[in-house]
Amino acid sequence: MLLTNNLSFARSTKNIFENISFSIAPGKIIQIKGNNGSGKTTFIKTILHILKPATGEIFWSGKNINKDIFEYYSNTTFIMDKCSSSSNLTVIDNIIFWKNLNSSKISKEQISLLLHKLNLKKYLETKIFQLSSGEIKKLELIRLIIEQKKFWVIDEPYNHLDEQSINILNETFKDHIRNNGFVLFASHYDPLINNIEIINFS
Amino acid sequence: MQLIKKTFIFLYREMKISFSNLSDLLSNILFFFLSIFIFVFAIGPEKSSYNEIAIGILWSLLILSSTLSLRKYYEEDFKNGTLIILHMSGLSYELIVILKVISHFLFVQIPFLISIPIASIIIGLSTNEILLLFITFSIGSLILSCLGSISASMNLLNKFNFSIGSAIVLLFSIPLIIFSIGILNEPENFNFLFNIILGIAFIFIGITPWSSAASLKLAINNQ
Repeated sequence: MLLTNNLSFARSTKNIFENISFSIAPGKIIQIKGNNGSGKTTFIKTILHILKPATGEIFWSGKNINKDIFEYYSNTTFIMDKCSSSSNLTVIDNIIFWKNLNSSKISKEQISLLLHKLNLKKYLETKIFQLSSGEIKKLELIRLIIEQKKFWVIDEPYNHLDEQSINILNETFKDHIRNNGFVLFASHYDPLINNIEIINFS
Repeated sequence: MQLIKKTFIFLYREMKISFSNLSDLLSNILFFFLSIFIFVFAIGPEKSSYNEIAIGILWSLLILSSTLSLRKYYEEDFKNGTLIILHMSGLSYELIVILKVISHFLFVQIPFLISIPIASIIIGLSTNEILLLFITFSIGSLILSCLGSISASMNLLNKFNFSIGSAIVLLFSIPLIIFSIGILNEPENFNFLFNIILGIAFIFIGITPWSSAASLKLAINNQ
């Protein structure tokens, strides 16, 4: 479904990565591993065409993404390693915003269940700047479910999470793969998920 | 249809953020009124001197006050990655800029517009002058929102010197001040001068989405 061909990225004169070709299809999960500063986040942003590659092409469903970037984005959810929620809005305000922005068909009951599962229900009316790092991370990850897209791209999904949340996230990944979704994530943590393919930046 | 819906969802979010930061907005307005009082005390009780400089003072303070909120224009959305998420949801950077300008006009400039009659009474303007000031600032505030967008997006490329953005706004608002004060000093040339202000507004409405979006793309690429 996603194919990259000889992808390279450089900042000034420094090459961050060179000639990476890989593909990811429904049912697959790929982990990007590497030392700090090895270029994992840059690679993710390049794949999403947030950063423009120095060389190489990216294809989505056989089409170059430059032809219709929004078709590619309409199938992709990107979770960054930082809080993309508005810090002055409440948890529920942010969730409703994402739901409406992505025209998600997820029901209120499903959202309520999700929040309950992640122990966030009591924080519905809490502003984001009052949440802990772990709670913010969980809120960010909720976007994966809300947006209901096939391709999940996540930068450091396991940061700040407790053991229980890590298990929930692993199960969510497995469910998504079973439902013909596919996942690409960058992390130092090795999750207990079978058949993870690894791209090593070290 | 989807795009129109997303536009309203975005504006609704901006409204919520503005109202949750109400203290920020109120402090800008407070700055505006305090500055007027400082000028009133600095000039003294001579009413004739007000007539000559009052409008100039009001315009200068309106511009200075509106530069206070420039930092909030794109900075949070840029730093926390919301701009990327918004773009990935189907909004082009140009459209994001247009929506940001609209929300800045609605939630930052309109409160100043509402304060103008009160400020004008404090400084002793006539009803006719208040009306003319109100009309010119209605268009002028839109120009200031566009200028603010350009300078705030350019500021994202320059993390260490925020004052450059304010300087850009002040520099490019000089023609606006010249023609707006011209209208108040020579009301008989209203049509001529007002058309020039409208022309300036259309130029900025035309160039802001592309120039700001180009700066945003560059800033995101350099992040």
